[in-house]
This record gives sequence, structure tokens and C-alpha cells, in this order.
Amino acid sequence: MPEQASASEDGVPGKRLHLVPDEVVEAGRMEAVRRYDILDTPPDGAFDRVAALAARLFDVPVATVTIVDEDRIWFKAAHGLDGVSEIGRDPGLCGSAVLRDDALVIPDTLLDDVACGNPLVTGALGVRFYAAAPIITADGHKLGTVNVLDTKPRSITSEQTATLTDLAAIVMDEMELRLSALRTVRQEQRVAEAERAAREQAERDKAAIASFASTLQRTLLPPALPTVPGLELACHYHAASVHDVGGDFYDVFPLPSGKWGLFLGDVCGKGAEAATITSLARYTLRASAHHTDDPVAVLEALNSALLADVWAGARYCTAFFATFAPDAAGGFTVELATGGHPPAYHLSPAAPVAGPAHTRVEAVHPKGGMLIGAFPHARFASTTLHLAPGQALLLYTDGLTEAHTSADTMLGDEGLTAFLTARPASCGAAQLIEDTVGLLDALPQGARDDVALLALSVPAPDQAAAATGAGSTAHTTAAPAGEEH
Amino acid sequence: MTDDIELALTATPGPAAIATVTGEIDLHTAPGLRARALELIDQGHHHLILDLSGVGFCDSAGLSALIGIWHGAQEAGGTLSLAAVPDRLMRMLTLTGVDSLLPHYPSTAEALNTHQGAPGAA
Repeated sequence: MPEQASASEDGVPGKRLHLVPDEVVEAGRMEAVRRYDILDTPPDGAFDRVAALAARLFDVPVATVTIVDEDRIWFKAAHGLDGVSEIGRDPGLCGSAVLRDDALVIPDTLLDDVACGNPLVTGALGVRFYAAAPIITADGHKLGTVNVLDTKPRSITSEQTATLTDLAAIVMDEMELRLSALRTVRQEQRVAEAERAAREQAERDKAAIASFASTLQRTLLPPALPTVPGLELACHYHAASVHDVGGDFYDVFPLPSGKWGLFLGDVCGKGAEAATITSLARYTLRASAHHTDDPVAVLEALNSALLADVWAGARYCTAFFATFAPDAAGGFTVELATGGHPPAYHLSPAAPVAGPAHTRVEAVHPKGGMLIGAFPHARFASTTLHLAPGQALLLYTDGLTEAHTSADTMLGDEGLTAFLTARPASCGAAQLIEDTVGLLDALPQGARDDVALLALSVPAPDQAAAATGAGSTAHTTAAPAGEEH
Repeated sequence: MTDDIELALTATPGPAAIATVTGEIDLHTAPGLRARALELIDQGHHHLILDLSGVGFCDSAGLSALIGIWHGAQEAGGTLSLAAVPDRLMRMLTLTGVDSLLPHYPSTAEALNTHQGAPGAA
């Protein structure tokens, strides 16, 4: 069989063509070795079985499966060679067999002029018989050998040589399977890695967007209410969603005239467009109030500003604007203008009657105040009220009255009025806000929309003495991200 | 809530046109209602009377649509009137002061009377 032909069987014993690795062939071979990524991998059952099978078939003490690296011969499987994992790439045995296209059979190494100098022959092992078949890839690269060794000379039949070649082919098949499994695993790893990276990026984006929205939301709210001597102020802001920038706004600030300015409003709509209107409304109201103390004129200025905006006619808001100042009677005079906003509530202790303390509730809703930013000639209306010691004023956005008490019933003006009436009136603004938030929290679904609450109260003389000066309270809440609807 | 809203021109007596709205006016249907009403105004029906007797539900999105239609009628030199306004919408119109700009009547017949009786309406 031509493929069994080797120099020592060519009728010239001891004279064998000494093959030297060709540089280009060797570079291609090494590339193939690396492609199969098998060097220095742990023992593997399939290769071990091939080595054991070879030893049994040939009845030899040693059989190995080797992969030939640049400068060493590494044993993928070594039957009968315990503890040896690699040897040098000396010529004569595997080092020569891997350069051939066919099997190399050396019946007696001492009679082979190259093999006789190999350390396996000259060393402790004293190899006298060697036969090897190269492991050849489909594209012709020789990765290593399947070989059998004995310590005494022997000859093998051409059938046995063919068997050795078949075993080398089985090893090659095994390595192909292994490579294709490796590729699949690597592809899966790449896909998993890409998916994980995409997931992490999405998480980071989501966090960045939520952080941006909540930052924007904070810039749209006053950081804290000022301290107004003789007045207790409290507010509450609840954002229905951390992602959606709300359209509710309020502020309390001093005016050049020595009075105080106050506003609370609600832009129709949500999201970024509503936020631009919220921002515009806040700054326009503050700026206008520095030029005039007339609350109606301030709302007119806002109406003009909204109509001049790019969203003219499509975005509008409702709002209260008020000025207030201490009066001679020990309370505060409040001049309040409305632009289509739901009524405010003026709370005072009810005339003493039998039973629990309760509150007289008066809706404050100047007639004829229109939506702000919807009509060029909108009219606004104002009223003046006196906030006496012991009295309070509650302003809110419709997220409060539109909160659902059941699947299809809203709290409404009636529900809010009933709630306020049943409360003791003597409590201050902070307690009023706290109780109102409690009312919302007790509803089965809470508030679906954004809610802004702002309360003012003039402490009764006995309270004022007890509470050395009134303060202000603010709290802001946002629904957790997971609780959107 | 349904995504469908109907706006049908039902009568064109004199200078006014009566359009009947059927369905629910919410965030989803309001833009369609607004677009169709503005189309009618563009077609020359400058004095539009919206019959809202067939409207089951209307929220602030509906109010926005009505304001948009009002602007369209104004630009065309016409008017917008409402007939048979549902309770919740009426409360919103009153609360926001929009009722002072949008004439509203219990029925289309009464809306029509006002139009025909108005000086210069013919």
C-alpha cells in the first residue's frame, strides 16, 4: 500500500529520507493546531480510549496520541506513559512522523539512522519499535500522530498499519466534532455576552432617563417654601410617575412691594411638552409679579406669554395667583385670582356645637376666571379674603379631586368638602396637608395623576404663643418606577 | 372606551350646520373629532353647532378639542355652539370659564333658534 511506504521499508534498511519542516508548511500546520485549540487541554475520554485501543490492538506497552507544537510534542493521551505530558521535538520518531503524509513504521530504532539518536530510544525508556500515523486535517495539515511503541523490535503487517491510519482518522473526526462544539459554545457565549451588554446598556439608559426626569421634576418645583412671619405654610407634591415629568407647579416668594406672592397651577397634558409650559408658567408668573401686585394682571401676562409660545392654543394651564400680606386684624389679607382652576377652600372653625370639633368650609372660586393660554382675550377674576387667626386656605390641583374612591367614582368637590368639614379646623397648615395626604393614601388606588397641595394658615393666638413662630413644611413624593399604570 | 367617534353632518338649515357627535371623547378620539370638525369648517360650514347628545364620556382631552375647533371657527369668521352638553363636560366648561365663549343650549332646536334670530345671521 503506497501510503504505508516509508523510507525504512523501501529496501534500504537504516537509510531513510530525513525530512526537514518546510517553513510555509509548518506555519500553516501551526495555524491549524491553534485552530483546534487542543494543546494543554485536560485528558479527554475519547482520546484516552483511542490510545488504549491502539495499545491493545498492537499488543504494545505504550500508545499515545500526540499533537506537535512548534517546539514540543504534547501528549493528548498517553497509554503506558504515566506522568509524561510532553517531550522535545527531536527528529526520528513523532517529530519525523508528523512531517509525512503516510504512516511511519520503524521495526528497530537502533537500525534507523535518525531514530537511533532520539532520546526516547537512547534514554531510560529504550524504545526499539515505533509506528505512527499522522492526524491529518481535511485541508491537509498534520496536527500530530497516533503511535504505538515497544521496547523490543517487531514488525507489523500492512493491515495493522492501515488500522493505525484509521485510528488517526478517528482522532481527527473527534477533533472536528470537538471544534464544532467549541464554535457553538463560543457563538452562544458571544450572543449571551452581546445580550448581557445590551441589557446592561438598557438598564443604564433607563436609570439615566429616570434620573434626568426626576432632576427636571425637581427643577420645576421650589426647593423649599420660604418662612413667612406669622404664617404657617405647607405643601405636598406627588408625581404619579418618576418617568413622566408632571405639569403641576407652585411657589411662594416675596414681592418688591413687601407683600408675598403665591401661585399653584396645572398644565393640561404631561411629558416634555407640558414641562416646557410648566417652566414658562413659573418664570412668567414670578417675573410679572415683580411688575404688578394685581393678580389679574399677572395671569393676563401669563396668558399672553403662553399664546406667544410655539405651542400657542394647544397647551394651556389653570392656575391661582395670589398676593398676601399681614393685616391690622392680626391675620392676612389674600387677593386671589383664578384662571380656570378648581376652587380653593377657606377653612375656619365652625361655631361651637355639640359633638366633635369640625370646620366651616367655603369654596373660593372667583367667577369668570378662564383657562390660561387658550384664548387671546381670556378674562380672569379675583376676590379678596381675610385669613383670620385660626383659619386656613387650601389650594390643590385636580389630581386630588379626580382621585378615585372606587372603580368609577372620583373624590370630587363633594368628597373633598365633606372630608374638610369633618376635620377639626384649629390645626395648622402642616397638619392639614398631612391629613389630606392621608386621605389620598387611604384611597384604594391612591392618586393616579400628579397632585400638588399648598396650605396657608394663621396660627390662633394661643397656638402662636406655643409655637414660637410659624414655619414651613414641604414634602415631595414620587411613585416608585414599578408602580406605574 | 372605544377608539371610534362619529361626526356626521345632519342638517344645514340656513347659515348654520348641525353636526352630531356620537361616541366617547377621550385622549384617543379627541384628535379625530377636532380634525373632522375643522374639515367641516374648511368646507364652508363656518357656523357649526355640535350636537353632543350622543356623547357618553368626555374628559379634558375633549375640552381641548372643543377649544381647537373654536379657534378654527374664529379664524374662518364663524362660530361654534354646543347643544345637549353632557354634565361632566358642562362642569369643566363652567370651571374653566370656557362656557362664556362657547354658547351652549339644551337642544339643537334652541341653538338653531338663536342662530336664526341673531341679527346678521342670515
